[in-house]
Amino acid sequence: MDGAVLACTDGAVLPVSQVFDAIRELGNGGLEQWDPLVLTSASLLSKLPVDSSSVDFVILIWLSIDCPVDQLIQEILRVLKVDGTILIRKSSQSAVGSFDKIISSLENKLLLAGFTEPQVLQSAGIKAKKPSWKIGSSFALKKVIRSSPKMQIDFDSDLIDEDSLLTEEDLKKPQLPPGDCEIGSTRKACKNCTCGRAEEEEKVLKLGLTTEQIDNPQSACGNCGLGDAFRCSTCPYKGLPAFKLGEKVALSGNFLAADI
Amino acid sequence: MKGMRKLLILYASQTGNALDAAERLSREAERRACPFNLLSVDQYDPSLLPQEEAVIFVVSTTGQGDTPDSMKVFWRYLLQRNLGQRWLSGVLYAVFGLGDSSYQKYNFVAKKLDKRLMDLGGTTIVERGLGDDQHPSGYEASLDPWLSSLWRMLNMVKPEFLPNGPDVVIQDTVLIDQPKVRITYHNIANDESHFSSASDLTCLNMQIGSARSMHPGKSSSDRSRPGCFLKMVKNLPLTRSNCGKDVRHFEFEFVSHVLKYETGDVLEVLPGQDSAAVDAFIRRCNLDPDSFITVSLREMDDHNTHDSRIPVKLRTFVEFSMDVASASPRRYLFEVMSFFATAEHERERLKYFASPEGRDDLYQYNQKERRTVLEVLEDFPSVQMPFEWLVQLVPPLKPRAFSISSSQSAHPNQVHLTVNVVSWTTPYKRKKKGLCSSWLAALDPCDGIHVPTWFHKGLLPTPSPSLPLILVGPGTGCAPFRGFIEERAVQSRTNSTAPIIFFFGCWNEDGDFLYRDFWLSHSQNKGVLSEAKGGGFYVAFSRDQPQKVYVQHKMREQSQRIWNLLAEGAAVYIAGSSTKMPADVTSAFEEIVSYENEVSAEDAVRWIRALEKCGKFHIEAWS
Repeated sequence: MDGAVLACTDGAVLPVSQVFDAIRELGNGGLEQWDPLVLTSASLLSKLPVDSSSVDFVILIWLSIDCPVDQLIQEILRVLKVDGTILIRKSSQSAVGSFDKIISSLENKLLLAGFTEPQVLQSAGIKAKKPSWKIGSSFALKKVIRSSPKMQIDFDSDLIDEDSLLTEEDLKKPQLPPGDCEIGSTRKACKNCTCGRAEEEEKVLKLGLTTEQIDNPQSACGNCGLGDAFRCSTCPYKGLPAFKLGEKVALSGNFLAADI
Repeated sequence: MKGMRKLLILYASQTGNALDAAERLSREAERRACPFNLLSVDQYDPSLLPQEEAVIFVVSTTGQGDTPDSMKVFWRYLLQRNLGQRWLSGVLYAVFGLGDSSYQKYNFVAKKLDKRLMDLGGTTIVERGLGDDQHPSGYEASLDPWLSSLWRMLNMVKPEFLPNGPDVVIQDTVLIDQPKVRITYHNIANDESHFSSASDLTCLNMQIGSARSMHPGKSSSDRSRPGCFLKMVKNLPLTRSNCGKDVRHFEFEFVSHVLKYETGDVLEVLPGQDSAAVDAFIRRCNLDPDSFITVSLREMDDHNTHDSRIPVKLRTFVEFSMDVASASPRRYLFEVMSFFATAEHERERLKYFASPEGRDDLYQYNQKERRTVLEVLEDFPSVQMPFEWLVQLVPPLKPRAFSISSSQSAHPNQVHLTVNVVSWTTPYKRKKKGLCSSWLAALDPCDGIHVPTWFHKGLLPTPSPSLPLILVGPGTGCAPFRGFIEERAVQSRTNSTAPIIFFFGCWNEDGDFLYRDFWLSHSQNKGVLSEAKGGGFYVAFSRDQPQKVYVQHKMREQSQRIWNLLAEGAAVYIAGSSTKMPADVTSAFEEIVSYENEVSAEDAVRWIRALEKCGKFHIEAWS
């Protein structure tokens, strides 16, 4: 069967090998007989230079990450013969995964333009047919547009008691890992402390910054001045802003200072 | 089509934690080349659930065990009895819950959802995970092992989802993810060309709306523009100074237009950020505060394409959308910062914080200390991040919700709030203050500052005048009940009204007895709280004597009066701190029902639960 093929792309160049790959995908043999008309930069054309209802197949090799504009799809519908086929494939140069993002809205665009039988292909493409009737016919769209969730809740229907979904075990609070009573955790020692934490807390509280430490801070690790992100858990400078080692610790007046 | 199936990640977030965990899940999926869809529950049609192959739910539980707002419709759909036991046959699912074990109903939403999905025939991928904010490492202590199990099990049951396998070693050479947002800079010659024709208030409204609508952290249910602006007319202390508490009574007047509200409603206030903090942030990040920007999501879908985006000044965007000096950043900020750190010791430290080994230290440094973004950036001076990443990772500035403490019938043009000014000392002995309460407390009524606000329904429905009430509200829990009593006092001038019993509690009689004169005046001379009318006002001072006296002790003393009102069909309202008070007060009610009727404790529990089911037992609590 001899037919007319139109190959379009939104890129500047369209390799012929991609066109023949697409033709092969349409399931038609006899490659030698096809003589496709190739158009580049198809997005810029307001009108395809082909007669209406004159083309059997339109192949659109799509490069961009956006959907084809509606006008281009309308033009493709115009130039196709009745029962003609459109195939939209992504270009091998397009970004990985970019075509997947637009394929569902592309399917909607084809349906809304008037195509039927949309079919998403495994090889990252979509195929559709021009219907076998002229302007003025109507039929129900088979594909439901799922742009927003529809809540089909029957408000008269019975609901189960959601409290019955909880078991005895669910009502219990979890056992937090027993604190190791490390000094520095948030909770204070109990009044009747027996584990020795209260005595440790007293030691820590007495450990304040001495005048010597304020005047001449030095440390073996060198992290005291870097800020709380770097300080050891027992560092006496915790809570203070960062400072330069060896210099006097200046408690600045800005809003970040800890007013101890 | 088989090949197009994706892992579906649904989150139901109330404060942003579930969204944060779900986004982390999606990043890990992306690194494993797993195709996924990430959606809020209210963006998904539950009737499509049987067609999914695998679904991951990340759900929060609000304070009272309620489902998050975005999940209510979805959950109601799932509870339909006519969904059969094989409705989800063949669907794999996993549930991770975020909760706080200091509340009574710990992770109830996740537990119920897990059970319901199983009852509908779904198959679990992994056992449900329950995150607990009270854990020494926060909810991530449960999330880390749960995620490892999830990927391992998913690889076993659905290997096509994970073509690279469950374990992906992120090499140093791997690029970080792309930022979610795209910043467009605009060259606008006339500074105020977009706003100059409008009035000052409309201009401020448009600026706030523009800045907040473009922020990627905005949830779908948020309204960007303030509902109205209020002007503060009174700022009164309710507590004696140096008593250990600072509770203020604020009175606001409507400025733009008067909105209707009811007692029990909630007012959300957008706090103003410290100008010095915003300036310091802009300086620290080398931003131009006067440039005009628009912010959009990188993967812009068709909906957003048609939005009109008004460019705003960068400083306006930061001031109204990004919380730089109050909220703590998420763990992901440290991971992204490690890519931009040029100093070696900072990069190593940031990577350590972002790793599972450093999780506890990060929790101590960041969450426990309530570190702010500005403080983190100052601790790592070599990090210079693009503004795109800052927009994505700095926590969004959130409005704070307060119970309205006035009745519009009594104050037609005003809204009153009762606010505890929050301040505390961190484990490292640094002083911290609440952003919104401190900002409100520092407002001077003479300044005429316009406060952006939104009105919302709260958890306490407005009672009708003929309904007897039993109110329990210690501390600032009394705030909504001040409005209740004002409203009923107005109503009682024209009609007869049902009585109110109110139990209030505080520390000391002379220190923090909030609204003392208001309660006392309404409990005398046949006021709406008076015993002569069948009501009553009872106070528990917990620290005025050696032994503790709380509201539940006062309730037990009035056991018979409470039961008489309950028998008349009274409604119970409880408001206040969420730690132990609601549980103790509920137990007191159960004891009263059991004692006055000589029935068993189980029967009393059932009775109280039935009261809750028919909408006459309400709790509003906050941490």
